[in-house]
Amino acid sequence: MFFLSLIEHTLRLPPHLLDLPLNEAIKGELESLFLDKVIANLGLCISVYDIRSIDGGFVFPGDGASTYTVEFRLVMFRPFVGEIITAKLKESDANGLQLSLGFFDDIYIPVHLMPNPCHCEPDPENKSQVIWIWDYQEQKFPIDGLDEIRFQVQSVSYPPIPVEQPKESKPFAPMVIMGSLDYDGLGPVSWW
Amino acid sequence: MSCRKKANAGALTNFEVLDFLRSRGAAKDPTRVIAPIAASEFKVYDYLVESAACNQTRESINELLEKCKKYDLAKAEILNIINIRPASPVEIDPIIEESEKRMGEGIEDLIEMVTTVLPPPPTQMNTEEEVVAGDEEIADGEQTATAMATEN
Repeated sequence: MFFLSLIEHTLRLPPHLLDLPLNEAIKGELESLFLDKVIANLGLCISVYDIRSIDGGFVFPGDGASTYTVEFRLVMFRPFVGEIITAKLKESDANGLQLSLGFFDDIYIPVHLMPNPCHCEPDPENKSQVIWIWDYQEQKFPIDGLDEIRFQVQSVSYPPIPVEQPKESKPFAPMVIMGSLDYDGLGPVSWW
Repeated sequence: MSCRKKANAGALTNFEVLDFLRSRGAAKDPTRVIAPIAASEFKVYDYLVESAACNQTRESINELLEKCKKYDLAKAEILNIINIRPASPVEIDPIIEESEKRMGEGIEDLIEMVTTVLPPPPTQMNTEEEVVAGDEEIADGEQTATAMATEN
């Protein structure tokens, strides 16, 4: 689920941080730049693991701040295809399920990757949502929000940033994970 | 401005990330305001603490790696096993490809080894019949990556 990525970045250190020790100031700048942001093809940045080297410190003409070239490692969240992850149900509608990990919400299980065969029923408690039920050997197994759901990662995609978005649509998701429940041992933990 | 020198400088198990966050001062409430950890990192900590990684130790993972060598598993499969801690053959099925062909009877041995070496996560502890005895020490303070963070 997590990887280390080695990154080199040229950083401008604002002058108001000059009273801090260099390591702390650079770490703070890196955190505000990268933390909780998605880097294309690398994943979601969770944390700065360590700083390998700091180079430079030159002040360019006309600028009040010094510029450093920093080499550091980030802890990235990037599940690989085929990984099994346990998540909680966030929403379920006619197109499939949406699962959440707490720090990452854009996990979708589309209808064709649900366990076969299954059907959906309108949820009596919540009008806009449906409950998915798996029909297996004449028994019904509903997917309710009570326990955690195990799924297998099918693909991780990074849709390009749209130029314009219609007003009512969902906020843009820079990283989307497609999951599958269609295998033995997957689905809500209580099923197995 | 930035270039990635190595997109993949090593895989981390959930335990290693949890250990790293703990060594920086993350803990359950109420020290949240004082610790130098961002809110988004706390969300990751909350997720990991409820997963199978919260009871693991560095020693137990090293022991598991040693014992897994004879089963000839892929690195991704071992990573999945450490993160999920399967307790029955049906849970191993999605993790190991063609498990019956490759291992046959060995699946039962593998599961027994996993359940004895790795401590059960809090949610599984209520449903498991066997009580896993042994000391549970939670490793603290080390920031060095373990054998999993090898260069590809």
